[in-house]
Amino acid sequence: MNLSVKIGNATFANPVTVASGTFGHAEKYYNLEEVKKLGALVPKTVTRHAQTGNPPARIIETASGMLNAIGIENPGIDGFMAQKLPSLQKIGVPLMVSILGHTDDEFVQIVEKLNGQSGIAALELNLSCPNLGHKVLVAQDPQAISRLVKRIKRVAKFPIVTKLSPNVTDISEMALAAQDAGADAVSLVNTFTAMVIDIEKRRSVLGNVTGGLSGPAIRPIAVQMVYRVARRVKIPVVGMGGIMTAKDALEFLIAGATMVAVGTANFVNPRAPLDVLEGIKEYMKKYKMKDIKEVIGSIHL
Amino acid sequence: MDKIQSFYPVVSNQKLSPCFYRLCFDAPQIVKTVQPGQFVHIRVHDGLEPFFRRPFSVYRAQKHVEIFYEAIGPGTEILTKKKKGDLLDVLGPLGTPFRLPSEDVEDVVMIAGGIGVAPFLILSDVLKARKCRLILLYGGRTAGHVYDMKEFKKNGCQIHVATDDGSIGVKGRVSKLFSKIPCNPETTMIYTCGPHAMMAAVQDFARQKRMSGQAACEEVMACALGACLGCSVKTTSGYQTCCYDGPAFELGEVIF
Repeated sequence: MNLSVKIGNATFANPVTVASGTFGHAEKYYNLEEVKKLGALVPKTVTRHAQTGNPPARIIETASGMLNAIGIENPGIDGFMAQKLPSLQKIGVPLMVSILGHTDDEFVQIVEKLNGQSGIAALELNLSCPNLGHKVLVAQDPQAISRLVKRIKRVAKFPIVTKLSPNVTDISEMALAAQDAGADAVSLVNTFTAMVIDIEKRRSVLGNVTGGLSGPAIRPIAVQMVYRVARRVKIPVVGMGGIMTAKDALEFLIAGATMVAVGTANFVNPRAPLDVLEGIKEYMKKYKMKDIKEVIGSIHL
Repeated sequence: MDKIQSFYPVVSNQKLSPCFYRLCFDAPQIVKTVQPGQFVHIRVHDGLEPFFRRPFSVYRAQKHVEIFYEAIGPGTEILTKKKKGDLLDVLGPLGTPFRLPSEDVEDVVMIAGGIGVAPFLILSDVLKARKCRLILLYGGRTAGHVYDMKEFKKNGCQIHVATDDGSIGVKGRVSKLFSKIPCNPETTMIYTCGPHAMMAAVQDFARQKRMSGQAACEEVMACALGACLGCSVKTTSGYQTCCYDGPAFELGEVIF
């Protein structure tokens, strides 16, 4: 059974990965032999300089999901390379490093530092974190996407995956802008901007006031967005949004995703990515499929 | 994929008072390794609402693992329905445990508010073999929030109770009780767990008297594995995760 997929010149043993910010401390808590079965690992987004993150409360559960407003707390690219990257490289699963610059220059500086590092298969551009207080995100402006992707493609030694925000009128326009600027893939969706109010205090629950909704609550919307984008672009799509089970992941693959990322489910069931991988294999066996490409984009219309 | 998830059978689940319950489950792996102040993260059902797991301090780990909990929301309500033989989906033991007192400590003062007493029975189990005096100062809203603390008594703890309404013990805040306990600051170690306002008052008093201590914090948690960074505690060295850097922190370092 061939489960391998490609993004640009990078090959992944299977299509299952984790969403940025949902997987950490592998060496302490995880059985690395099992982690090695995944197609790729995506560490938490790293920025040019260290960020302390948003004031608490940073998370709250909702029906079938959660809101988060972490604020990309991270040690910055130098801290990441010193403290986090070595243990991630040691696992041996191809890394898709998620990066965010507050300016195009910062993005380029991060890319230049990562160029030449081993174990990295691709870079994911986080253009869509809704929590840092900008009025318009890069992910909401096709010209900004185009300008940034072109610039990064000139310096990056890795394939570029552009992560898209669902908080736009037509996400496929953003995907086309990324493709036309040279992106090797798009990943979607990031979280939906959302809010929960404490009616006793008449305050927003989250310290950042708004946050991003993720989890099974968003899955059917995400599936539709992946379906729409996959039909309009030629580059691979990494699909995510509320995947809890193999059935959920298969919806994304059938809709046209080349890879699938398990995110919020990691918080409830740390086995979720492996369960998803095993379930995809069982599904292929059931339908006597030999190659994952028989699943990808196989939706009947 | 993780090393710390297992399914353990419930041994018993008892109501101890109008508010509090104690659930025991058979988890020899956790009994072997858990240290005072650590916690377990329990998925109370397979459904999607409530969505998160629920973190509970380990209350005791002798034959079985015990958690002490209050039915205060949808997650703990579901937990009250668990019966002997039901399998619990548990991650643990997790988190940074309490720093234990050095050998020269003579008085260990545990200051708990409400359900905040949960990490202290296992602490007294570990410390009872030592020569130090164990003191438990326990504060609750009313008599209904105070349960019979016979296990603490068996461990040789001196117990002092305060309630907001005076329905049992002294009327007033548990932090007030603390100022009445004679102890030598140099040979006293404080452990506190409870509402922020209570722990802040304990911290103030400890600072004035130059006493050292530990605070067990509680925050809403998603992963409980230090990955999501959702359960931040503000400290003198910036935000730290309650689940991974804590739940036990140096008392003087937490900014309540």
